[in-house]
Amino acid sequence: MTEREIIVKSDAGVHARPAMMLVREAMKYPCSVSLLKGNVEADCKSIMSVLGLAIVSGSRLIVRAHGEREKEVVQAIVSMIENDFRMS
Amino acid sequence: MDSILRVKDFLDDSWRISLQLRLVAGEEALGKEIRVGDINRPGLTLAGFYDFFAFDRIQIFGLGETAYMRQLSDEQRRRTYDRFFSYEIKCCIFTHNEEPDELFIEYANNNKVPVFVTRKDTTRFSSQITLLLDQIFSPSVTVHGTLIDVYGVGVLILGKSGVGKSECALELVERGHLLVADDMVIVKKIDESLLIGTGSPVLTHHMEIRGIGIINVQEIFGIRSVRNRKRVELVVMLEEWDNSKEYDRLGLEETSYPILDIDVPLVTVPVRPGRNIPIIVETASLNQRLKRVDIHSARELDENIQDMLKSGQRKE
Repeated sequence: MTEREIIVKSDAGVHARPAMMLVREAMKYPCSVSLLKGNVEADCKSIMSVLGLAIVSGSRLIVRAHGEREKEVVQAIVSMIENDFRMS
Repeated sequence: MDSILRVKDFLDDSWRISLQLRLVAGEEALGKEIRVGDINRPGLTLAGFYDFFAFDRIQIFGLGETAYMRQLSDEQRRRTYDRFFSYEIKCCIFTHNEEPDELFIEYANNNKVPVFVTRKDTTRFSSQITLLLDQIFSPSVTVHGTLIDVYGVGVLILGKSGVGKSECALELVERGHLLVADDMVIVKKIDESLLIGTGSPVLTHHMEIRGIGIINVQEIFGIRSVRNRKRVELVVMLEEWDNSKEYDRLGLEETSYPILDIDVPLVTVPVRPGRNIPIIVETASLNQRLKRVDIHSARELDENIQDMLKSGQRKE
């Protein structure tokens, strides 16, 4: 299992489009990927689940992955959030 | 889960209407946090027995307490309140529409203790507030799945992303069943045998259907297609058909899925193209209802066959 903690800086928070970007990225990997906010865990491969976390600017998240290519996906998700969802 | 309730939440519509509370003192202390989901009748305490005084609970003053306080002399009353309010009381609630005396209100204001009055009687009020407190302070877990009321049975559909949970739920809704929550279900353990599932307050009754996007189930199918909470009574696990795996063909053995240490009956359904999953979920729900009234189809058929085989043997 790989885990990384990150604080969301994006002013608008994770609304529909950023949520979709996170889900698309997670779907590229075979392992399970989840986002934790407080004690609520959301499946990072489900749009509704990610939206349901109500992630706002300043939210502290843990990105957690388990299985094949877990390190890669955690890195990808973390850098996506760090880069404020700007496509590189 | 660390749940916090603030005294001012009592004045929110959902609480105020069901508990019929009206604030009579301690307005400036409404921000107080309640961390214990229990109530206390302070009768013994007022009479002077302070051992085991659960001061951090919500204090409920019924007819007994108010009658006792009324017959005290001014001097006794002052001494009683001095001692009672020396504890960090969270809040006091008087039932039967009995207003506390002026001295009590003065002490409550000075010690920053909110005081409410309700029209309800003590027994009914106690049970209602306990139910509401249980909903807040019960242990809870977030489950990635879909909760739907199928023929009155709360069915939690689980399975990996993309296995077709939402599509299955959509067809069940179309067939007249009620959606509680899709993708993110908050399950609370109300007592040792009762799990209640609700949706995320952010998502309400929205659903994501691949190819269409996010839809509002209540808007599309109407108010009769949704409900806000439901007891979780059956778990249906959808998984991709695996030829190497043995699936239950008899239903004689019962399997379960643990949620917050409660074993919920589990049915594992292999999915493959052309299999009508919603009708299987409907049948599993109805079968679960039969089991509730102690009718086990598989077991009964097996017993009948065994009886027939025995009588056949005798004839031979």
